[in-house]
Amino acid sequence: MTRRSINQSACLLVAVLALGLPLVMRSATYLHILILLYFYAYLTTSWNLVGGFAGVLPLGHAAFVGIGAYTSTILYLQYGVSPWLGMLVGGILATLVGILIGLPTFKMRGAYFALATIAFAEGIRVMIENIDRLGPFVINGPRGLQIPPLKLGLSNFMFAVKEPYYYIILIMLAAVLLLTYCISRSKLGYYLNAGGEEPEAAMALGVNVARAKLIAMAMSSFLTALAGTFYAQFTLYIHPKSVVSLDLSFEIAFIALIGGRGSIAGPVLGALLLRPVSDFSRIYFGDTVPGLHLIIFGVVLILVMLYQPRGLQEPLTRLYNRLVDRLAGTEGGEASA
Amino acid sequence: MSFLQVNGIDVRYGDVQVIFELSLRVEEGEVVSIIGGNGAGKSTLLKTLSGLLEPSTGEILFEGRPIHGSPPEVIVERGIIHVPEGRRLFSLMSVRDNLIVGAYNSRADKAREETLEEVYRLFPRLRERESQMAMTLSGGEQQMVAIARGLMAKPKLLMLDEPSLGLAPILIKMIFDTVRTIAQQGTTVLLVEQDVKHSLGLSDRGYVLEHGRIVLEGPARDLLNDPHIKTAYLGM
Ligand SMILES: Nc1ncnc2c1ncn2[C@@H]1O[C@H](COP(=O)(O)OP(=O)(O)OP(=O)(O)O)[C@@H](O)[C@H]1O
Ligand SMILES: [Mg+2]
Repeated sequence: MTRRSINQSACLLVAVLALGLPLVMRSATYLHILILLYFYAYLTTSWNLVGGFAGVLPLGHAAFVGIGAYTSTILYLQYGVSPWLGMLVGGILATLVGILIGLPTFKMRGAYFALATIAFAEGIRVMIENIDRLGPFVINGPRGLQIPPLKLGLSNFMFAVKEPYYYIILIMLAAVLLLTYCISRSKLGYYLNAGGEEPEAAMALGVNVARAKLIAMAMSSFLTALAGTFYAQFTLYIHPKSVVSLDLSFEIAFIALIGGRGSIAGPVLGALLLRPVSDFSRIYFGDTVPGLHLIIFGVVLILVMLYQPRGLQEPLTRLYNRLVDRLAGTEGGEASA
Repeated sequence: MSFLQVNGIDVRYGDVQVIFELSLRVEEGEVVSIIGGNGAGKSTLLKTLSGLLEPSTGEILFEGRPIHGSPPEVIVERGIIHVPEGRRLFSLMSVRDNLIVGAYNSRADKAREETLEEVYRLFPRLRERESQMAMTLSGGEQQMVAIARGLMAKPKLLMLDEPSLGLAPILIKMIFDTVRTIAQQGTTVLLVEQDVKHSLGLSDRGYVLEHGRIVLEGPARDLLNDPHIKTAYLGM
């Protein structure tokens, strides 16, 4: 077997596994956990466009999740607009907000940028929490919004079972991974990378670093908002603490940093490793120690940053490559012998 | 009208003024050196010319048209390329990808593959290391990439900030020889250096910058014989 065919088989295996899992796994709880795992992998991959490729550390992405969730939900509840359309509107709204946040903050360095994004996101959360109506739109403050599961079906993005949600988020994840892959190999990817590491040198070569970052931010906020709508339709209940919280923003960044920001596999590996920690700490310690998962993440993050500053994707990729080498090597040897 | 003309610029970082009423000119096809000690304001001057900083007063004209106040990408498009001090490579990218980023502007982008060939002819070493990650290169090789990356942008005026910094004597000679070749091929060069002997050696004219002011200017040969330069910069 050549290296290429091994890689192809591995991809095929993952695809078959991902597509087939709901057929063999009948437990709704585990399916739920998997759906959230993909949801976080999707969010983190979207975050990675700015947080990884552009070399800044946004810590307020929950704001975009919230914008997506609230926009489609309000449009559906008050005007009967299909959540699929609402998803798109939420995405566009989030893009505008993303650009508005990016314009003044991308000039800031390091921690200042991170703090500014936290401030924006918290501002939006506090606003949603404290108003019941915004013009004609019912927001319902801290009580949040409930979507009555009356009209089930694909056109209303509402299902009685979990399988459809599983496939929808799987497709979304695959699409955003493909997009990231294309961007990382495009000029935009180069410019983001260059501007993130050496902004002055990139600018001296005429690279419009600010514009590249804004484009990345626009795409990232758009994609993140789509996940917000997904979450709203999946849980059929949103409130500020669930979709605009600082926890959510932090969890995304944790997953990215631990998995390996700036790489394509990093966010997925990070979600694969950390989501179970979240879920099980919530199941077993949720009542006694809420937020325990964030503490565990913090400890893991410290260890990873000390020993694998580029995230766990690096040793794992190396391991995988060695495995492929071994397979290709021995098989190749046998063939030639 | 000169190719590049700087008329009485002041440059400041916030409240701190670093460059005072500075004027200079560069003619097309010339090699001009700017020499001066640490903190004289040499890098600040280049950053101002490339649009990374903006002068608070005065004007900068390139081919007769003002460029002060224009953003860097516009100035690059006009043909001024700044190779910053300390190489500043994109360390996780390959040599080739570093060079490709150099060809960002639309003028350079069209001729990218040809320019890449030319640049590899000038630095055969870089062709060998094409797919190596930039951070794993030696200091000399990194400087070659930095200059080559600047050339990829198809400069009319190439500004080099201390290309010899931190290199062994044999590499310094090699870098200066390359600068000479670049100039002979028709690119105008503005060279900032602390290695006074080498840089004036290949320049047509020079300026001496001290505490943000030009204190001396003239043909390179005259400057090399100037008593002030001999004592202050050549240690004679
Ligand atoms: N970003 C900055 N903010 C504030 N002051 C600065 C900044 N950059 C440089 N300076 C100050 O401006 C002055 C000139 O610095 P500059 O880097 O232009 O000197 P230089 O001639 O290039 O020196 P060197 O040969 O050491 O590179 C110095 O006093 C320096 O401290
Ligand atoms: Mg300097």
